[in-house]
Amino acid sequence: MFNLIKMNLYRMRHAVSTWVIAIVTIVFAFMQFGSLKLLLDDPFHMFDAGEGAEMLGFSTVGGEHIITTLLHNSNILIIAAVFVVLFANAEHKSGFDKNLIGITNHKWKHALARWISAVIGMTCILAIGFVVLFGLCALFMNSFSFGSAAAMLKSAGFLYLGMVTFSAIFFFFTTLFKSSAGGIVASLVISLGILNLIEQLLDLAVNKIFSHPAYVPSDFFFDNAYMTFDASGAGMKAGLVFVAICLVYLALSVGGSMLLQQKRDVR
Amino acid sequence: MEYLLETDNITKRYGKITAVDHVNIHLKKGEIYGLIGRNGAGKTTLLKMLAGLAKPSEGSYSIFGESEKETARLRDRIGVLIESPGLYPNMTAFENMKIKSLMLGMNDDSFLKELLTDVGLDSRTEKLKVKQFSLGMKQRLGIAMTLVGHPDLLLLDEPINGLDPQGIVEIRELIARLSKERNITILISSHILEELSKISTRYGILHNGQMIDEFTHSELLKRCSERIELRPSDATKAVTVIEKMGITEYKVLDKSVIQIFERLEDSGEIVLELAKNNIKTLGIAVKNEALEDYYLSLTGGANKREENGKE
Repeated sequence: MFNLIKMNLYRMRHAVSTWVIAIVTIVFAFMQFGSLKLLLDDPFHMFDAGEGAEMLGFSTVGGEHIITTLLHNSNILIIAAVFVVLFANAEHKSGFDKNLIGITNHKWKHALARWISAVIGMTCILAIGFVVLFGLCALFMNSFSFGSAAAMLKSAGFLYLGMVTFSAIFFFFTTLFKSSAGGIVASLVISLGILNLIEQLLDLAVNKIFSHPAYVPSDFFFDNAYMTFDASGAGMKAGLVFVAICLVYLALSVGGSMLLQQKRDVR
Repeated sequence: MEYLLETDNITKRYGKITAVDHVNIHLKKGEIYGLIGRNGAGKTTLLKMLAGLAKPSEGSYSIFGESEKETARLRDRIGVLIESPGLYPNMTAFENMKIKSLMLGMNDDSFLKELLTDVGLDSRTEKLKVKQFSLGMKQRLGIAMTLVGHPDLLLLDEPINGLDPQGIVEIRELIARLSKERNITILISSHILEELSKISTRYGILHNGQMIDEFTHSELLKRCSERIELRPSDATKAVTVIEKMGITEYKVLDKSVIQIFERLEDSGEIVLELAKNNIKTLGIAVKNEALEDYYLSLTGGANKREENGKE
């Protein structure tokens, strides 16, 4: 398994797409910094006093806000989706899997190692985005203060778990469709919140059938759970529910990918 | 262990289509086995099953004397090149090789460079991305990739496909050299019997998913060499007569045709001897066949058998 991960990381390091996505993440971090700067420091005096802070929900930028700005964002989800899909499908697309899969005794190990490597790559790319955004804010934002390290770690922990779960879901769809196009379409449908419409309809139907149900279906759809989760303000119960939802989707997606890899012939 | 690789009625079905139908092949250590068949005959599917890329629907196989299940732990001793080589186009030849070596837990870059030199991809191609390679260079790199884990068995699927005559000669010489110098057993598929006959020691003819014949190189030469083809009124009696004449190198086909591979100049004497024993000669001719004609006669024969079966 360790050798498989090492192999995948070597491939990732030598893939052009990895570096393109890293650059896109840096550009995204610059854009996020620009919008924070405009809203909070207001260098062009575009807003009334406090208007920008009101729109953002905070008046000084700290580590916790940087994490939330970076991770709780559909743009970064799209970047992660593209990265995971391209990386997960490259072996099949190039036919390189024919050189490898036959010579391991358990084919599922390939899927697991590929997903772990994709998570490592995604983490590195997110870390680059964080360092750039944090650095820019620390250097050029008047309204920057580091804030509470504990709050930052809490937000980072929850949202990172969410991103890892998203990566597993994207990975599963790529393995299922065996194509970048199929994987990207499925991943974009999730990242852009298109599933929300279906979830709302389900909620409406459940509300019609059972008046005032204790739970509604959208609470258990991962994309909705992630996007509506308040990472910094979540209490113990909400946090545990979020972690449980993440773990269920994570296990199903990774397990499903491994099963597909094990059972399917290599074509 | 008599055979290094052996299949027992191995079968692969995709829905209602049977791609490989109860095939038995036998490959001894050190042999170069030529698997011959037209496009769509089932060669690639058979090799994919042996390479662990596809699961047989029925039947089994053994490699290195171990059952299919046990073979799983010996798979790093098998080098596989199925169809066109699977390579990352934006990487160099060395980087592609390195990926496979990392998976096998190897960390010997000089060995990888040595392999590249061995297959004729020297320092001049060092900085080229694979997407800049010609088809022949890609095939050579594909073969080099199969050698990364010091394999004892190579499964090569149509490695000469699409190559120009010069490329075909180069790949053929490379395969022969690998077998000789590294003592690697090779199973190679192609639809060109002529090409395989220059390196193979044993052959299997696959047609519509079925193995219709399996023979050694010397048998192939014999079958394609000059011979008397005799059609007597009673083949069983005729065999007794020709044996009495001291002829030992003969073969009876379809219970009606006798091929005699010696005393080719004595056809008149044979006819006379048969007549003395009240056996009519319905036809006699001295024949020889080109390899491709022989192959076509085999697969054409198979087609006829199918048609008869349908009737």
